[in-house]
Amino acid sequence: MKQKSFLRTATPYLFILPWIIGFLVFTIGPLIFSLIMSFFDWPLTSTPEFVGFGNYIEMFTEDDQFWKSLVISLKYAAIFVPLNLIVALFLAMLITQPVKGVKIYRTLYYIPTVISGVAVAILWGWLLDSNYGVVNYLLSLIGIEGPQWLIDKSWALFAVIIASAFGVGSMMLIFYTDIKNIPPDVYEAASLDGASPARQFFSITLPLITPTLLFNLIMSIINSFQQVTLVMLLTNGGPLNSTYFYGLMTYNNAFKHHKMGYAAANAWVMFIIILFLTALVFKSSSAWVFYETEAGGKEKKAKKKQAKEAK
Amino acid sequence: MSQMSLSKKSKVVIYILLTIMAIYFIAPFFYMFFTTFKTESEAIAYPPSLFPEVWHFENYINAWNAQPFGTYFINSVLVTAGTTLGQIVSCSLVAYGFARYNFKGKNILFMILLATMMIPWDVTMIPQYMEFNLFGWINTLKPLIVPAWFGSAYYIFLLRQFMMGIPKDFEEAARIDGCNPFQIYLKIFMPIIKPSLILIATLNMITVWNDYLGPLIFLQDRSKYTLALGLASFKGVHDTQIIPMLCITVIMIIPPIILFIIAQKYIVEGTSGSIK
Amino acid sequence: MKKTAVAAGILALGAMAMLAGCGGGDKAAADGKTHIRFATWDVAEDVDRQQALVDKFNESQDQIEVTLEAYGSDFDTKISAGMGSGDAPDVMYMWNYPSYYEGLEPLDSYIEKEGEDYKANFYETLWDYNSMNDSIYGIPVGFTTHTLFYNKDIFAEAGLEEPTDEWTWDDLMEAAKTINDKTGKEGFAFQMKPDPYDFEMYLWSNGTAYCDAEGNLEGNLNSDASKEVFQMFQDMEKDGYAVATEAAPTDEFRAGNVAMFIYGSWSINTFNEDGLNYGVVKIPSFAGKGDSISILSSSGLSISKDSENKDAAWEFVKFWTNEDANKERIGLELPVLYSVVESEGIMDQPEYAPFYEMLEQSAGHTPASFIIEDWSEVSENLSLSFEEVLNPSALMDVSEVLDGAAAK
Repeated sequence: MKQKSFLRTATPYLFILPWIIGFLVFTIGPLIFSLIMSFFDWPLTSTPEFVGFGNYIEMFTEDDQFWKSLVISLKYAAIFVPLNLIVALFLAMLITQPVKGVKIYRTLYYIPTVISGVAVAILWGWLLDSNYGVVNYLLSLIGIEGPQWLIDKSWALFAVIIASAFGVGSMMLIFYTDIKNIPPDVYEAASLDGASPARQFFSITLPLITPTLLFNLIMSIINSFQQVTLVMLLTNGGPLNSTYFYGLMTYNNAFKHHKMGYAAANAWVMFIIILFLTALVFKSSSAWVFYETEAGGKEKKAKKKQAKEAK
Repeated sequence: MSQMSLSKKSKVVIYILLTIMAIYFIAPFFYMFFTTFKTESEAIAYPPSLFPEVWHFENYINAWNAQPFGTYFINSVLVTAGTTLGQIVSCSLVAYGFARYNFKGKNILFMILLATMMIPWDVTMIPQYMEFNLFGWINTLKPLIVPAWFGSAYYIFLLRQFMMGIPKDFEEAARIDGCNPFQIYLKIFMPIIKPSLILIATLNMITVWNDYLGPLIFLQDRSKYTLALGLASFKGVHDTQIIPMLCITVIMIIPPIILFIIAQKYIVEGTSGSIK
Repeated sequence: MKKTAVAAGILALGAMAMLAGCGGGDKAAADGKTHIRFATWDVAEDVDRQQALVDKFNESQDQIEVTLEAYGSDFDTKISAGMGSGDAPDVMYMWNYPSYYEGLEPLDSYIEKEGEDYKANFYETLWDYNSMNDSIYGIPVGFTTHTLFYNKDIFAEAGLEEPTDEWTWDDLMEAAKTINDKTGKEGFAFQMKPDPYDFEMYLWSNGTAYCDAEGNLEGNLNSDASKEVFQMFQDMEKDGYAVATEAAPTDEFRAGNVAMFIYGSWSINTFNEDGLNYGVVKIPSFAGKGDSISILSSSGLSISKDSENKDAAWEFVKFWTNEDANKERIGLELPVLYSVVESEGIMDQPEYAPFYEMLEQSAGHTPASFIIEDWSEVSENLSLSFEEVLNPSALMDVSEVLDGAAAK
């Protein structure tokens, strides 16, 4: 008896064991190492020197760029996260429509996601070149003088967003898989009630995909703070440092200025910010994310119907 | 399948929307594609042209021969296949544990799992390098493949979300039939979540296929390079060899697209087994 | 959870121990040869040429086996990571000595052993650029100065005489204006966010510098002579016959949209492959300020201070920098040995000679990067200030910007 109950307690741990092993062997060492390094001055080419909270103090009191980059990244996240979610969801809805040829569109939307990030950055750099780029050339053909995309401070962030939305395909695919998993009878029942497509979307599809919505939301937040490759190759932080993202600043501190300790401090501050945002999202999620495991499937459907009727 | 029939009007609207979005997603790609057949001076000429004056099909052969891409291809396939298999096995196990059980410390462990994604790679890479160096794994494909067999937070989180959408009564029934927990996972859950497994396989394939920072740091000589690293090394300090780079980019998207087309079929097929 | 915490602690300690410095174990492999890792930043076909040369070295003797590692534009990331983890390549290409010298082996004693003639055969100025704090950290393998490139076709189209080595900036501006009027093309182009390291040459040419010998910017960066330089570039842009480009204007020049630009020798091969009809002359001078000065971008071969096989590494460095290797790399790098430049008749080649002439008249200037500590960060600030002056969407007041930058 005793053994059996032990086994029962151990079962969930056995399932997550692979991750725990991987975490202990591959992840936690480097994580703690970087945390320790954030209290050191480490120029990479020579031995680290302990500086206590020096890096953190410098960051908050002396480094203008820290605040500026933080604001840029927050601004980017504020625009990019909702935009990305809406576009991905919109596309996912489009490619689930039962029309001919939709398979081809599905593949077309997915292609940019498959293109290597280095090539995407170079491609958009070409397209958006203010003097000799294709986009402004096409605009000039219809008599519009295109903006100075990567030269003008007020346009550059927008240019980065255009280029990064190009890779929305993964998120689209996640939504798509989830939507495809909704059994048809749910809709059929709703159609009989005479619900309009918009209403169907908001009262059936959307609530049912909230778990993946939560996933995509959190991942977008994390990704937008860690955005490096694209800005590095497309704008390299310019023009006039207007796209000097927090992630790029961290990278430059580490590998350009050889201040690895300082970069580690940057990274851990970013960690706190993302963790805080994620916790906030999670906390709120109990109000808007519905899991079947929490309420029985039937109960939930009934709840939704009630909600619908109440409207 | 879902909304059985659409009116003609809404069909037209859908096609218009589909096409507008397609222009944004595909026009840059086509521009790139046609550029691969141009000479370099044609590619940078202004005003730009869409089609090359003369089609230089040999650009592709030259690009392929500029570096040992045959070797890179094999390495890329090894890494991609090795990690994808590992992710499916490990992530589904771990996600199952997190999604279907209540246990002590679950919430903290799950928060830790999420937190591991929040520290940028820049600052953990050096200690990681030291560790792999200690294992003697530097300049082998191991650092790129082995960690995937212990799950990745991103896919675990995603699978957990999918699994939490499955009603509880499901395993209750199986448990009454006398299945042990592992059997429930393997025989009942795996078939149900097949579409999501296909999804994480697809996502992992493109991520790993295009990853070049990992290979850059952990590999040394060209016999170990992957395609993505070969692609990135067309970019020099002062000069980028743009045409060969774009040619390899085009070649590189063929395998993932083929796999995607196949995967699409399975993601849709999965619906039949759905139980939401 | 307690156990997890303990395990975490142990692993972290392990990581610390690693940092304390273990270079990565036994390097002598089964074949009994000494293995040397050699890192380059070159790409594609250039790597093949280097590989051929490495193969030649490996075949020439049976003690040392060199493997080539090519990292392209990610060279810095890889080398930084390598040094940070105590596992840098034994031999590596190097140019940014101020950032890396602490991770490199001083080579003076090795050079001394080779005798006076060895050192004397290299262009003298190059040693200054491969040293830090009076120690030599790299053996020169290549270099470039900057010169004025011009498109002969555009000059013909505008009916103008081609530039000469005696040109002043006034000549250049006048020509650029005429070209712009007559052909509609841009007369001159420069980068709107120039690398401060490169841009200092214009200040030198006008008799000033970013900083004095102690590294003070005040009174140097914002001196009248310095402001004059920036004002001149800004005015060219404002007057509309010169264009400030996002990246170095190589592509614009290749596409024939721009008549002149100033650049290193990096793109000569590409221009030749394109069949571009171009010429090269010395950088124009400032009227009454003597010869123009060029910055030097020099590359050398360095040995990692953590290397366990420094003698073998030095053997390879010697091979890579000898006469034959210099000859083999012509077209890839400008030779750095007097004897090779002479025997190969480099000075008779009009597209190469100006780089050597610029080299000769540019001796005796020390870039700010070798003087100012934390140059990398200072450079980032300067770069922003320069962009404020030159970015067409900003074009801020030169005097204000430079005064502000010097005060930082």
